[in-house]
Amino acid sequence: MSAANVTIRDALYEAPGPKTKKRIRFFTVVSLVVLAALIFLIIRQFYVTGQLDAKYWSLFTRLTTWKFLAGGLAGTLKVALVSSVVSFAIAFLMMVGRISKNKIVSWISTALIELSRGIPTLLFIYFFFLVAPQLGLKLPTFWKITLPVALSAAGVVAEVLRSGVNAVPKGQTEAAVALGMRDATVFTKIVFPQAFRYVIPSLISELVIVLKDTTFAYVVSYADLMQNARVLISNYDALLSVYLVTALIYILINYLLNKASVAVARHRSAVPGATK
Amino acid sequence: MNIQALLSQFGEKYLLALLTTYKLTASAFILALILGTVITIMRVSPVKPLRVVADFYVQIFRNIPGSALLIILVYALPYLNVILSYYAAVLIATTLIPAAFCSEYLMSGMNTIGTGQIEAARSLGMTFLQSIKNVVIPQAVRSSVLPMTNLLVATMLTSALASQVPLNPTDLTGIVSYINTHAVGGVTAFLISAILYCGTAVIIGQVGNQIDRKVRILR
Amino acid sequence: MAQEQNKTERSEQTPVIELRHVDKHYGSLHVLKDVNLSVQKGEVVVIIGPSGSGKSTLCRTINRMETIDAGEILIDGEHLPEEGKKLAQLRSEVGMVFQSFNLFAHKTILDNVTIGPREVLHTPKKEAQEEALRLLKRVGVDTQAHKVPAQLSGGQQQRVAIARTLAMHPKAILFDEPTSALDPEMIGEVLDVITELAKEGMTMVIVTHEMNFARRVADRIIFVDHGVILEENTPEAFFTQPKTQRARDFLNTLKGRDK
Repeated sequence: MSAANVTIRDALYEAPGPKTKKRIRFFTVVSLVVLAALIFLIIRQFYVTGQLDAKYWSLFTRLTTWKFLAGGLAGTLKVALVSSVVSFAIAFLMMVGRISKNKIVSWISTALIELSRGIPTLLFIYFFFLVAPQLGLKLPTFWKITLPVALSAAGVVAEVLRSGVNAVPKGQTEAAVALGMRDATVFTKIVFPQAFRYVIPSLISELVIVLKDTTFAYVVSYADLMQNARVLISNYDALLSVYLVTALIYILINYLLNKASVAVARHRSAVPGATK
Repeated sequence: MNIQALLSQFGEKYLLALLTTYKLTASAFILALILGTVITIMRVSPVKPLRVVADFYVQIFRNIPGSALLIILVYALPYLNVILSYYAAVLIATTLIPAAFCSEYLMSGMNTIGTGQIEAARSLGMTFLQSIKNVVIPQAVRSSVLPMTNLLVATMLTSALASQVPLNPTDLTGIVSYINTHAVGGVTAFLISAILYCGTAVIIGQVGNQIDRKVRILR
Repeated sequence: MAQEQNKTERSEQTPVIELRHVDKHYGSLHVLKDVNLSVQKGEVVVIIGPSGSGKSTLCRTINRMETIDAGEILIDGEHLPEEGKKLAQLRSEVGMVFQSFNLFAHKTILDNVTIGPREVLHTPKKEAQEEALRLLKRVGVDTQAHKVPAQLSGGQQQRVAIARTLAMHPKAILFDEPTSALDPEMIGEVLDVITELAKEGMTMVIVTHEMNFARRVADRIIFVDHGVILEENTPEAFFTQPKTQRARDFLNTLKGRDK
């Protein structure tokens, strides 16, 4: 009854007695002291190396700085968004291929999914950046980053979609077939919409991976947040502060995306497969 | 360039690149397991500051892009008089990020145990350490096999960050860039690396599945 | 020293379980109000009451699965401490059977029964296994000894949980709604095992919704509502002529449900 909403995190230790409470208080104080010392040392290191100087941080009080970063962020989001859409489309095809009754189609799709999942994004990027031009494939910079990021994510998305399809109760298909629907109609009208809803949280989490991968845009010199940060650095000669702030922006966006994913998952926690 | 010409010219470099990737992956994975376990112990401890710091760690490092972390380690830290070798920087970046995910997997592995079994252990008269040893660790470990398999593959993919710094020998991704800037390696160079990565990932996945099938806990 | 004194003071009349002025709050909710209860050796006490009455909490305070804010709990005359080795030792002397079985999912049925004696009582492996098999036979699941909990039905799991508790040779066993998570057709097999234990003179505190069972097995009925023991009575008297209006209402709602 009372244990219903307790996570393992709180159940691992039982309610402390007076001695344990004392011990916890002791370690709390000790850890606070250590923590304070660490923070002090870090700040001191910033101070003695002059990295706390106003010249490194004053640029963040200017609106133009933020406008410029926002411009970069727009580029990042554009790549992330288009990558996601492209990767979803590829993933959908690979997933349908993998669950196909045709053995050859299924085998090829599985192999493609494994390839996509087993190759680092950077290798895909080098393919489009260095190898593709040798094959006569000259792409605009935007696609040189967007396509590899999409291909790299597609395998995982395909597997996420497949787990969603597997989570749809068999009875749904049987009922639809009993109504005289064709296989394709059953899949597009009945099974997939439900599967999609199951996996929305996982798809949002996948956005985080896509967004992280877009930071490799500098390899192909596409003007994303990271690239604009570099411009700021050379303009203001403030490397440390700009990179820290930029990293923080990425962390914040991804944090919010993860939060959204968890919120959606919790919202439909009764649904099977939603946790995958 | 065909595969034979490529291998005769760059064969040894390829072998070294493969070894670099494996070495990086293995060391980072082991370090990430250790760090992830420590972070997890902090996260479940009753000492509030430890919890807060460990939670903070996980949020930072599961959300930071690998390239951003590497750039900070390589280019920003020297401004604080912290100078790392390129290899150390890559190894640290490839450890810190997977460690955050390792902790997340361990937490969810522990959450599947359920509070009831802990209470049952307690009611039998087991002390805290006995219940951890007999109930929590065996179950958390056994249900973490598949996530940890995925983590190993993810660590290998993250190790491609090595291609972003001048390393000698470079890794499997770096060598594609190297060959393509020194010769016209074309598709072949890319394919060799792709197959080595992917083959390794598939083998890791297979082994993980085998182990999981043996130790999986029915629920 | 204090323990030695306790031991010498202990007599035949020392209750196996005793609660003195126990109080407990969940935030602003006062879940146990000045609860006093003593259970003698060999006695079967059944706690009943509406859901949310605090009966389960009351049962779980006895081995400190739930903490208390005030009052005292004594196990066989010994003060139940708030922590430490002594708490663990006293817990090992009081068995508990949970609503949701709580078998260790990664261990076989046999290991579930032997782990307590092995880890806590340091019984040799062979001895622990022999006894475990005997106990599993007694509760009728000896043929399943090498399966894992998930392969057993709920009724079988709960019987294993009882065997696990018996393996510790407890002075008393607490049952926290042992049949509430079971399908109706499995309730009987578990209640039969408990009834058998009662006949053998096991000291037990049982929280249950099964009124026929309560009437059959109890030496004493405790009726709890809003965290207060409203009535202590023999089963006959309680079910035929309850003293309080609330107990009458409670029994009537049960009848209304055609139970």
